[in-house]
Amino acid sequence: MPLNCLGVEGTAHSFGAGVVTSDGKVLSNIWDMLSPSEGGIHPREASRHHSEIGPGIIKNAIEEAGISPSRIDLISFSQGPGLGPCLRATATIARTLAMSLDVPLVGVNHCVAHIEIGRLESKFKDPVTVYVSGGNSQIIAFAGGRYRTFGETLDIALGNMLDVFGRYAGFPFPAGPIIERTAKEGAHYYPLPYSVKGMDLSYSGMLTAAKKLYDDNTRLEDICFSIQETAFGMIAEIAERAIAHTKKNELLLTGGVARNSRLTEILEGVANRHNCTFHRVSPSLAGDQGAMIAWTGILQYNAGNTLKVEESYVLPKWRTDEQDIIWRDNL
Amino acid sequence: MNGEVIALGAESIISHIEKWGLDLAVKTRQKKPYLLPDIDENLRNTRISRECKLLIAVRTLGILSPSVYAIDYLSKSIIMDYIAGEQLKVIISKEPVNRGKVLCQKFGGILAKLHNGGIVHGDPTTSNVIVDNEENLWLIDFGLAEMNATIEMKGVDLHLVRRAFETTHWNYQGPLFDAFIEGYTTNLNESTEEILERMNEIRERGRYH
Repeated sequence: MPLNCLGVEGTAHSFGAGVVTSDGKVLSNIWDMLSPSEGGIHPREASRHHSEIGPGIIKNAIEEAGISPSRIDLISFSQGPGLGPCLRATATIARTLAMSLDVPLVGVNHCVAHIEIGRLESKFKDPVTVYVSGGNSQIIAFAGGRYRTFGETLDIALGNMLDVFGRYAGFPFPAGPIIERTAKEGAHYYPLPYSVKGMDLSYSGMLTAAKKLYDDNTRLEDICFSIQETAFGMIAEIAERAIAHTKKNELLLTGGVARNSRLTEILEGVANRHNCTFHRVSPSLAGDQGAMIAWTGILQYNAGNTLKVEESYVLPKWRTDEQDIIWRDNL
Repeated sequence: MNGEVIALGAESIISHIEKWGLDLAVKTRQKKPYLLPDIDENLRNTRISRECKLLIAVRTLGILSPSVYAIDYLSKSIIMDYIAGEQLKVIISKEPVNRGKVLCQKFGGILAKLHNGGIVHGDPTTSNVIVDNEENLWLIDFGLAEMNATIEMKGVDLHLVRRAFETTHWNYQGPLFDAFIEGYTTNLNESTEEILERMNEIRERGRYH
């Protein structure tokens, strides 16, 4: 009989719970996102959000999975990286569950989980992964037993850049989908700073320039169009560099910004240029959610990796390349 | 001009040709169909002119790099010296311990010379260093290089070197990067403290914590 894993995610503004079986079926995946009425995400507010709505979400996730709590074989949680208060609130919930159900506890790296849920869905063996969200923009590939970051942002994440511009232009949070819609009506390209350094990139310069265009009463549709073309072009270029460098033949797009169709189209172009197979994770698995934590928890558990409750400290600065990926063959 | 294709990168195709009785390399920046044409055209123009300008500038600093013979602005091609040798990346993977360390130290010295002259490379990986048969190091690929280097820009350059060691030479990243930093520190005309501090700061900046 397959194992059932309940995964809880709470590294930043979203709290999610999902049940996944050891043969890779997502039985449930429910989340809630803190949407501040103004300003950005305050870590303390987000952690309060997780503590308040977490238990209800977990209850719903177990019910929707159609199993009784006694059928849960293990609990996994997002151990890091992320905002300290959010990680602690989530870890507390996970520890309590593991102890009261008397099942093993597994600590999962949030970034690794985004890759693994994408691999599960795409059936990719060894992709170059573009992981873009509100908090991260990384190009990751497996090498020497670990997921190594070949490129990343040197300042702000892609999703963060979109949100900050959106807030400036009066869009509600999250701004990404509105920018995408608005950009469709854009026609004129205004050059914005295009900053690629090696396999890294920087978004802060183009954000400042885009705000300036807004101050100068430039047509908003054209600004959104210019932002998307510039920002996505940059990430596509570093993804292409990583493909050329690693010579891998699969390209995976994951993370919250994976929901953007223009970004998807551009990365498909990169994949075609290098004869790579391309996959973007489906919208329900793109953002921060519990199913990815549950599935990665199963992979780790099957490889013999569990945590004692008394040693289950959160790791706010846990880098993607600091975890040995013991469940994968060392290619 | 057709020659033997020696490298098919993300950004360009490099072929080896014989012309004017010389061994030459042709580097062509192709169109990228996935980019907005305005952006693509602008990037290829900027990078080809930047590469030519900086290939000349770095020679005045006593750094070995290919000479430029001709430019074709329409096809976005540069004709330059063909450098016979092996990529540092390849040598390190074969001989990481002794020879690799010595070469990484030399690489550090060359990057220091470049920084002393106010230039950053922009993509200082071990793929962009060619070792000739006299163990001289040649620096190539200046399409992302910049002049008027600040502490921040030098810090980014070092961060990219460390990144290259982490992703490509992970088994020996510690000793190789130490050797690189030793060569860099010995040859830099100023204190490296501030630049190294910046390098560490840059690494932490892009993450959610």
